[in-house]
Amino acid sequence: MILTCIMQRVFRTNIPAIHNWFVTTGMAGMVLLTICTPAHGQATTISDFEGVWKMAKPSNSLEASTPVVLTAEGRKALAENKRLRSQHKYDDYDITISRCSSPGVPRLMLTPMRFRIWQRLGVVTFDFEWNRALRQIDMRGRPTEPLLAPQMTGQTTGRWEGDALVAETVDVSDRTLIDDIMPHSSDMRVTERIRLVDADTLEDRITIDDPIYYAKPWGGVVTYTRQPATPFFPEHVCLDRRDTAARAMRGK
Amino acid sequence: MTAYRKHSSRARMLALTAGILNLGAGVAVAQMAAPPPGGPPSGNAPAPPPPGRGPGAGLAPPPLPPLTEAQKILTALPPPMKAGLFPQPPVTADDPVSPADPRDFQGIWYHDQPLEVRIQKDMYGAEPPVTMAGANVIARRVRSAEAGKPFINASAKCLPPGPQWQRDLNFPFQIVQGKTWVAFIFEEYHGRWNISLDPKTTPLPGGTDFMGRSIGHWEGDTLVVESTGFKQALWLDVDGTPLSPNGRLVQRIRKVNLGDGKPFLEIITTIEDPQYYTNPWNIVRRFAWHPNLPVFKEYNCEEQVGDPSGVTDAGLVVETAD
Repeated sequence: MILTCIMQRVFRTNIPAIHNWFVTTGMAGMVLLTICTPAHGQATTISDFEGVWKMAKPSNSLEASTPVVLTAEGRKALAENKRLRSQHKYDDYDITISRCSSPGVPRLMLTPMRFRIWQRLGVVTFDFEWNRALRQIDMRGRPTEPLLAPQMTGQTTGRWEGDALVAETVDVSDRTLIDDIMPHSSDMRVTERIRLVDADTLEDRITIDDPIYYAKPWGGVVTYTRQPATPFFPEHVCLDRRDTAARAMRGK
Repeated sequence: MTAYRKHSSRARMLALTAGILNLGAGVAVAQMAAPPPGGPPSGNAPAPPPPGRGPGAGLAPPPLPPLTEAQKILTALPPPMKAGLFPQPPVTADDPVSPADPRDFQGIWYHDQPLEVRIQKDMYGAEPPVTMAGANVIARRVRSAEAGKPFINASAKCLPPGPQWQRDLNFPFQIVQGKTWVAFIFEEYHGRWNISLDPKTTPLPGGTDFMGRSIGHWEGDTLVVESTGFKQALWLDVDGTPLSPNGRLVQRIRKVNLGDGKPFLEIITTIEDPQYYTNPWNIVRRFAWHPNLPVFKEYNCEEQVGDPSGVTDAGLVVETAD
């Protein structure tokens, strides 16, 4: 399905909770109408997720809304993670905690800090307050090649289904966790359905499909509340904070 | 008036007139009107003509001022590495165009010129106006790298490297903006550069940042951004051209559209730092419109650099302080 226009937002107002296709150019004060017209006969709509968001109920875990059934290999990997956690050997199973490595997909969506969403030039960009992390969803509908090397955020392509953005992520490095403990293999595929529940509530229905570790797909729903619009997050440099804290603990 | 002066005056007139009519002929005329070899006739010693204005100078540009002792240190250094450039897919007629508003910088830009590993000239072709301290810092860094022990810097530690280095790298960045703010989102180092155009309504967050604090205002269609208050000293390039934490960068950003379908951002950066430079000096960069690079590769330097075992130097060494 190809849209007959180019989606190019120019500005956002600073007024929260405006969800329509009219945006105001801050410069000239004109109202600029941006509409993408689906090809004839298509029922697809496009939602505007731009703004600042934060998890409604912070949680380090992806709370499963479906049963989690681990394979034997999955049980082994989870037990190992728990053992290492109890021994505080974080660098052996969670390099986000130990090294500030990107939490990747889907764990970035569990960030307790804020993030912004930009929808520009056919790509949805998640711009995180935590460590200035980034993840992107390519909506341009182009064929993709497997990544030469897996990334923490994998490779995500997306499409619209009604008002929901359906995103598929593959090629995720096995050096990440699904959340703060659940393991995954390099075969994991993450599917997300992202949509506006209402003007100020964003929902991400996350499904994990990883036959190596999980006998069947499982997932949970994460809900975000719109935050006051701000163009700037404070500069968050995870490694600097980690090293500053370590020096303070050593009394230096 | 001495004979020499009359002669030189006439020579200048001839050269200028001929130059207006025909440059080649003008040069020939100027050469014919040049003073005889061996200098001016003896007698009252005339004041030497100003540079470039002497007889026979024609329309030649004035010679650059002589190098200072500090600048000679720089010119004696081995030349910098020549950086390559990965070819990017070309922008086609089907790709989105840059907005018509000359003040709308939004979209994806890419530094499509080879990286200047060491800034060897300012934008006018002159040697950077280093103080002796500045020359010594650069020399120390270059020699250490030549010896196979380059110094650790922000880039090597996966820390924000400051606006100048961040922009210079050949990786795409996205600009988003509003009436009172502009933000750059970089692929490299997953960096950000935040600029407030109205600190009263859109203040920058508190704190001292690696990227400094940047306040901008419009002068016509040029965005003038002043960056100060850096958390630590900056390397302005790979070889370590320095900026102290109290230094200041002024960036003049404008969108240039020459009507060839290839708009670019031009950023003139004025470098001000009395510790390292005798006066402010300017460099210029251009960034091509590249809407076909909106998906960034992940840059996760923390995975290696964050290794808590501390074995991450990759051969780099700690620099001794000034």
